[in-house]
Amino acid sequence: MTFFPYQISKNIKNITLSIVAIVFLTLLYRFYQIQIKQHNKYSGIAEDNRVRMVSLEAPRGIIYDRSGNILVDNKFQYNVFIIPFEIDSVNKYYRRLGEIIGVSEQTIKKRVQNNWRGRFKPALVAKGVEFSVLSKIEEHKLELPGVIYKLDPYRSYPSPVNLTHVLGYLREIDSKSLKKLKKYGYSYGDLVGWEGVERQYESILRGEQGYQYVQVNARGRVQGELESKENVQPKPGNDLYLTIDLGLQDTCEKSLSGQKGAIVVMNPDNGEILAAVSKPDYSPRIFSGIIDKTVWDSLRYDPERPLYNRISSATYPPASTFKLMASMGALKNNIVDPSWTVNCPGSYKLGRRTFKCWREFGHGKVDMVKSIEQSCDVYYYTLIRKMDLDLWANVVRKFGFGQATNIDLSGENIGNIPDKKYLNKVYGENGWTEGYKLNIVIGQGEVLVTPIQMVKYISAFATDGKLVHPHVGLKYFDNEKFRTFTTEEDSIEAFSPPTWELMNHALHEVVNDPAGTANLANARSVEVYGKTGTAQNPHGENHAWFVGYAEDGESKIALAIILENGGSGGHDAAPVAGKIFNYYVDNFWSHNQQIGQK
Amino acid sequence: MYRDNSKIINKLTTKIFIVVFLLCGIGLVAIYSASSNSEVPFFQRAVGRQIIWMVLGLLIVFIMYVIKKEFIFNVSYWLYGAGLILVILPYLFPSSGGAHRWLTMGGFSYQPSEIMKILLVLAIAKYFTTTEFSHSEFKVLVIPLILTIIPTLIVLNQPDLGTAMIYVLTLFPIMIWAKVDLVNIFILVSPIISILTAFNFYTFFIWLIIIIGVLYLKKIKHWHFILIIIINLALGTVSPYLWNNLRPYQQQRIITLFDVKSDPQGAGYQVIQSQVAIGSGGAFGKGFCQGKQTHLKFLPEQKTDFIFSVIGEEWGFVGVSFVLLLYFLLIYLSIKAAYRVREQFNSLVIIGLTGILFFHTVINIAMTVGLMPVTGLPLPFLSYGGSFLTSCFIIIALIFNMNRELEEFDL
Repeated sequence: MTFFPYQISKNIKNITLSIVAIVFLTLLYRFYQIQIKQHNKYSGIAEDNRVRMVSLEAPRGIIYDRSGNILVDNKFQYNVFIIPFEIDSVNKYYRRLGEIIGVSEQTIKKRVQNNWRGRFKPALVAKGVEFSVLSKIEEHKLELPGVIYKLDPYRSYPSPVNLTHVLGYLREIDSKSLKKLKKYGYSYGDLVGWEGVERQYESILRGEQGYQYVQVNARGRVQGELESKENVQPKPGNDLYLTIDLGLQDTCEKSLSGQKGAIVVMNPDNGEILAAVSKPDYSPRIFSGIIDKTVWDSLRYDPERPLYNRISSATYPPASTFKLMASMGALKNNIVDPSWTVNCPGSYKLGRRTFKCWREFGHGKVDMVKSIEQSCDVYYYTLIRKMDLDLWANVVRKFGFGQATNIDLSGENIGNIPDKKYLNKVYGENGWTEGYKLNIVIGQGEVLVTPIQMVKYISAFATDGKLVHPHVGLKYFDNEKFRTFTTEEDSIEAFSPPTWELMNHALHEVVNDPAGTANLANARSVEVYGKTGTAQNPHGENHAWFVGYAEDGESKIALAIILENGGSGGHDAAPVAGKIFNYYVDNFWSHNQQIGQK
Repeated sequence: MYRDNSKIINKLTTKIFIVVFLLCGIGLVAIYSASSNSEVPFFQRAVGRQIIWMVLGLLIVFIMYVIKKEFIFNVSYWLYGAGLILVILPYLFPSSGGAHRWLTMGGFSYQPSEIMKILLVLAIAKYFTTTEFSHSEFKVLVIPLILTIIPTLIVLNQPDLGTAMIYVLTLFPIMIWAKVDLVNIFILVSPIISILTAFNFYTFFIWLIIIIGVLYLKKIKHWHFILIIIINLALGTVSPYLWNNLRPYQQQRIITLFDVKSDPQGAGYQVIQSQVAIGSGGAFGKGFCQGKQTHLKFLPEQKTDFIFSVIGEEWGFVGVSFVLLLYFLLIYLSIKAAYRVREQFNSLVIIGLTGILFFHTVINIAMTVGLMPVTGLPLPFLSYGGSFLTSCFIIIALIFNMNRELEEFDL
């Protein structure tokens, strides 16, 4: 290597030295301030005292319905904590504290273990304690150093509705989620949204914990707040507005009470969900305090599955509501025209098997509109024989079936749309026969859909092919302004306007023609369109479907109703729709109001 | 042309050695006090272990002192490469508490990013020594910048903000002593300041005027001038826009990247307790092993990161001043050594290593009095812990080694 004499200028050396000297003098001055000038203050603190850190819980964002009615609010309650670091003899202490709070020594021990966040940090031992307990704690302060209590927020549900599966609930974070969320400042004992929008919009709703330092004397008395820049005020979470309409939700919940199933009501133009019910449900209020284990277990092991979100996680065969699919596939591919007729004698023979129509004595001569209006099975048995199964499956997929709707609720099921590939996989290349197609075309067998997919499907008819993104999150309030969520929209281009027109005409006849299957869905002074379905259920009573929409000038609402073991679509599901449409007419359209405005 | 007086230990080396020796002694006293109420045998106590590490450290100094400087110069880049591999190595093993900082083998763990600080200095010093560009040109900074950024990003990801800060900060004294034009360093840091000032229109506006003023006075070439302004202007306009368009959780992710203390409340508590301990020490302190805050264990991390608080409580302002003086002497003497040597590589290595010691010392001590955030950087020669102490001895050994030349220029 080649070295050459190197000389740094004296200036650079002196500048470097000066910087170093200035930095050291600054440090020295700071020590002078703390040790000489503020010595009395600090030695006062240090004498017998300790500094205690108290965390200040931030209230979560409030959840509103679309018109600003509060759905989920915060209330405050007294929680009791102990600071492990300030306790000397643990066993005697836990026993004494247990006596006062009214739980066993073991329970206290367990709660301290579960809620351990570090030696200096308060560990939660009791939630929502009564005032009489607090005064007892104050009385026995000397025996109980390191016990603190403070007001913490908890979730309350002031509205009359449950809205269980949309709202979701909060739970203490588990170690699996903690691993993922640790970097966002979560720690043991924190509550986190577990289902529904509480989970989906966790990052918006969650506030930032604050903390302050207080000075405590040897006898455990708080001497006052310590003035320090380390004190941080809690920052409340952002408020969230849902697309849900409180009144409509209430109507829907009431009309489904005592039954099993789901109702979804949506604005077909933009995918805003106005009401969503899944029954049986439970009151979200049970999650307010420390949840009782027996209550929780009774929910978890209930055979009716109240925790199950039937709106977007449950799948059912769509039954006759799917008959439009074969019609549209046939029109698009010119397999038949609308005037093509089939004679329905009440059954259809394929080989040695007989496939029955739901109407024992048959429908007689049936064309396309009539086949939908009266839901003739034989018409579709005949039609699907002329069609390839994959052609049918492609039409169905265009409406979003077999795919997620990406609704902002977790645990969505995509359902199942059988095509040739699927049947080959399940039954083998030659393991299935033409007869399978006959079952599939009337929406039975392996065809499975969710209620949320169904409301998206019927909305496509209401809008002549618009495919909306169903969602319950409307907007949130952040930094003094509203922010909205992005939604994707798509449209089905494959069908001609006359096809849509014909289908809507048929859907109108279903409700309005005296021979139609869903006369009971009709409502006052608006045009109602819809289709019924009755899904055969090998395990019990049939499931009843109604999907439809109501139109008043430019405004529309769409809905899907499923009643589990509820009987027949026309007889049982359609009247529920009628009730909901009537509520809507009375409360909105009769006042010339747009959807959801109040 | 020059004599290599490797046999002779010059006066600066002796002086630095004495300062280090004193600091080590003070460290032992403080660690002893911080762990005095334990009843385990002496050599299993923190202070006993620290003594063992110090003896090992001295051995390292003697071995490294006689290694030929030419050898170190020749293998600098190779060492840098090996260092990078070491820093990546923890990722091959399961993380401990979400972090990939440590290599653990049979109960002994080592933090490879520690030695990387030194290897980075060697590599950058070699680059500046051998580069053919004039050091007044901007492009001379490209390679040192890349050499620094690679380990910095890895270490940020581990995550270890403190060490990443040291990597970046160390670059500056080396650049200045390599006679890089100050205006080029200014251009180098200008985009960062643009991003930071851009969140307020007026601060950004003032900053832009400063940039234009400096570039104009320094007579920067026209198209360079325009390019720099455009880059800064673009960053300044785009970054607040980008930031506001991020979802809250994305913003949070960026904030947490630069805010590695996973436990902000714990950190705040530490700083307050540390200040109480130091402040209650007063002018003359409470005396050896008399620190109440220390002995009641109110003070967290008192053997390691907050060892200086123990000194503050027990020895008061007088003790603090003395230790600060020793650190100043250490830095002062090292800078003198860097000034004194006549080979560029030696000079740059010394100034870089001195930078490491300086930044560690200042960031740590400032942290104990709440002037800087808690980043987990230990205090050279005082904090308990073998990994870092060994690095400090290697740094000192290299400074001695590089200073081993030219008796006649001794000051």
